[in-house]
Amino acid sequence: MLKLFKEIRKTGCATVGYPFEPLAQADGVRGKPEHTADACIACAACAVACPPNAIQMIPDIEEGTVTWSINYGRCIFCGRCEEVCPTRAIVLTKAFELAVMSKADLETKSVYRLQACSVCGEYFASRKQIELAARILGQDSDQTEVLQAIDGLGICPTCKRTRDGVAASNHAKLTGGVR
Amino acid sequence: MMSKTTETRKGTSHIEAIRRNFPGAVKRVEWQVDEQVTVTIALDTLPDIVEYLYYERGGWLSVMVGNDERGFNDCYALYYILSMEGEDTCFCVVRAEVSPDTCEFPSVTPRVPACAWSEREVRDMFGLKPVGLPDRRRLVLPDDWPEGLYPLRKDSMDYRYRPEPVRDVENYEFLRDTQGKHTTTIPMGPMHITSDEPGHFRLYVEGEDIVDADYRMFYVHRGMEKCAESRMDYDAVPFLADRICGICGCAHSVAYAEVIESALGIVVPARAQCIRAIVLEVERLHSHLLNLGLVCHYSGFDTGFMNFFRVREKSMDLAEMLTGARKTYGLNLIGGVRRDILAEQKLTTLRVIEELRHEVGDLVEMLLSTPNFLARTEGVGILDKKIARDYSPVGPTVRGSGFARDTRIDHPYDGYKNLDLTARTQETCDVKGRTLVRVAEFMDSLDIIQTLLENVPTGPILTEGWTVEPRRYAVGATEAPRGEDVHWSMIGDNQKCYRWRAKAATYSNWPVLRYMLRGNTISDAALIIGSIDPCYSCTDRVTVVDVKKGTQQVITKDELEAYGRRHSHSPLKG
Repeated sequence: MLKLFKEIRKTGCATVGYPFEPLAQADGVRGKPEHTADACIACAACAVACPPNAIQMIPDIEEGTVTWSINYGRCIFCGRCEEVCPTRAIVLTKAFELAVMSKADLETKSVYRLQACSVCGEYFASRKQIELAARILGQDSDQTEVLQAIDGLGICPTCKRTRDGVAASNHAKLTGGVR
Repeated sequence: MMSKTTETRKGTSHIEAIRRNFPGAVKRVEWQVDEQVTVTIALDTLPDIVEYLYYERGGWLSVMVGNDERGFNDCYALYYILSMEGEDTCFCVVRAEVSPDTCEFPSVTPRVPACAWSEREVRDMFGLKPVGLPDRRRLVLPDDWPEGLYPLRKDSMDYRYRPEPVRDVENYEFLRDTQGKHTTTIPMGPMHITSDEPGHFRLYVEGEDIVDADYRMFYVHRGMEKCAESRMDYDAVPFLADRICGICGCAHSVAYAEVIESALGIVVPARAQCIRAIVLEVERLHSHLLNLGLVCHYSGFDTGFMNFFRVREKSMDLAEMLTGARKTYGLNLIGGVRRDILAEQKLTTLRVIEELRHEVGDLVEMLLSTPNFLARTEGVGILDKKIARDYSPVGPTVRGSGFARDTRIDHPYDGYKNLDLTARTQETCDVKGRTLVRVAEFMDSLDIIQTLLENVPTGPILTEGWTVEPRRYAVGATEAPRGEDVHWSMIGDNQKCYRWRAKAATYSNWPVLRYMLRGNTISDAALIIGSIDPCYSCTDRVTVVDVKKGTQQVITKDELEAYGRRHSHSPLKG
C-alpha cells in the first residue's frame, strides 16, 4: 500500500493541457486530407482508390463538367488518395478537429471542365488531364511520333481506335494486303 | 495453384483417418496452402466426421461458414473450420453441400456444442435449417426482421434495403435452467455494465446467488459482410476489416490479408511480415493494459485502474507512431504493409517498451499484493475444463483453464514463424487465472517486440503484381489479444469479394459465459463478464429475477457497477 502511495506521488499530474494547448502528435499521423483545387487534374484516381467512397466524381454531361467532392464524414483517414495522386493535389494533414455545426459543411467540392472529342463531340476526360498529358509529352517535342501523339490527345479512345483501324486498313491496301 | 509436395503438406493423416473410418464419405480433397486442407464430404456423414475430428483428433471449432454457391455449384455450402491442434497441426475445413431444394442439413451441435452459434447464424442469414438443433431462436437477426428474408443469399436483397418492422414486441426467449428453484430474474442490458456496449443479460438468482444466466447479443450487427460482398473490391476489404474492432483492428485486417495471400499464393516480404507482428504485439500491449485496468475497476481498486490507464497511454503513443493512427488502422494491404519502421522509430520503440516493462512490472506487483483483488478474483467465474473443451473458447479465456491454445504457436503466421514462443496458461480456471495469463502475455509481447525489432530483415515491404482468380478461397487466422480471429473469404468475379466471414475472438467466448456465471453472486457478474474482455461491437442494464418471490427488478448500470465495486449495500434490498 505504501508503495502505491509512493508511485502516485512520483507520477504527479498525468493529464495533458489539451484543448487549452496544442496536442502533441507523432510524425506521420494521418488526419484531414486537404485538396488543392489548382493542382488537381480531375483524373479520378483518388475516387477509385477511396475504400469508403468518401471521394466521388460526378460528371454533368449537359454542363460539360465533372464535380470532385470529398465528404469528411465518410473519410476514414487511410491516405489511399494521397498514395495514388499523380500531382500531390490531395495531401493528408494532422488536423483532427473536424466537428461542424451543419452536416453539409463536411463536404468540399471542386468543379472541372470536361474535354469533348474533336471527332465525335462526346466528353471523354477532364480538360486538365489532357493539358497535363500534352505538357509532359511536349518535353520531347522534336520527335515526329510525339508530335503525332500530341495531335491525337483531343480524340476520345473510341474515335482513336476507329482512326487507327482505318489507317491500318489503308496501309494494308497500299502495301498489298495483310501478311 | 501453389506448388505442393506431399512431404510439406499437412493434414494428410486426418484425411486418411476420415477415409479409413468413414468409407465413401470423402468426395473431394483440396489444399489451399500447405497448412490448409478442405475436404468435401457427403452431407449425411457431417455430424459424425466433425465429431470425430473434434474429439478424436484434437480439433477445435473456429467457426462454421455458410456460402451461397448456387451460381456455380448449384448448392449452398457449409465450411466447418476446424483448428487441428493435436498431432499434424493444420486447418482442416470440412465442407458439405446443401441442396437448395430442401435447404436442410443435419445439425452438428448435439454432438459438438461449439457449433451452436454458427448453425443458428447460418439459419438466420441463409435460411438453411439445421435439423436436430434444439435452440430454435434467432441469433443475429432482430425480432422485427421479416420471416423468409435471408440477407446473405445472393438473390435476396440490396445491402441498402431496410425492411419495415413487422412487429414491435421483444419476443426473444431467454433460456433458464434453474433446477426447479425459485429464482429472481435480473435483466442486464441492452448496455453492458462494464464495457458500455450493447448486449442483454438475464440473471436468474436465488437471493444473491446466480442459478443460471442467458444473454442476447447482436444489437449492433453492422452488416459488414453484406456490405463488403455487395460493393467492395477484394483488395479494399482490409480497410473495412480494420473497423470490426476498436482495439484489435490490425489483427482483423492481417487475418483478411492472409486469406487472400493464401488463396492466391502471394508471398509477403520478410520485412513486412515482421512489421505486421510488431504492430500486432503493440496492439496486444494496449489491449491487455485495458483489461488489467478494468479488472481493477470491477474489483473496486480504482487507483490501479487509473494507473494502468495512465501507463497504457504509452502503448497508444507507440501505435500512433508506428501506424499513423492511435487505433493501428490502415496498415495492411494485400501483399504487405504500407508503412516502414524507420531507424529513429525503432529506437523510440525500444526505449518505450523498456519503460513499460518497469512501470507495468511495478503496477502488477502492487495489484497482486492487494488482498481485496485476490479475494474478489480467486475461485470466481470458474470455466470448467470440460465446458472449455466442448465450446472451443479462445485466448486468455481458454488459456486460464489450462489449454495451451494460441494461434501464434499452433498456426504460426507472419513474423511469428521464426520465434520460439510458449503459450501462457494457468490451471486455476478463475478470473485470477485469466488475469495472470494476460500479465504474462504482456511481458512476452514486450520481449517479442524487442526480438523482432532487433532482427528485422531489410528489403521491400510490399509485394505487387499477381493475377486474381475468381472462386479462390482460404482461411486466415491471427491471435488477437482476446483470442483467435478467423476470417474466411472467397474471391468473386471482376475482382469483387464474393463471400467474407469474419469471426472475432469474443464470438467463441460468449457461449461459455453462461457456465462461468453459474454459482457466483450478482456482485461478481460484472467482474466475470469483464474477464473474457468482451468485445460486443458492443451491451444493457441488468434485470434481476428472484425465483423465490417471483419478482422482477431492473437495476441501472451505475447501481450495479457501484455494487460490484463496494461489494456491500445490495441494490436489491431496496
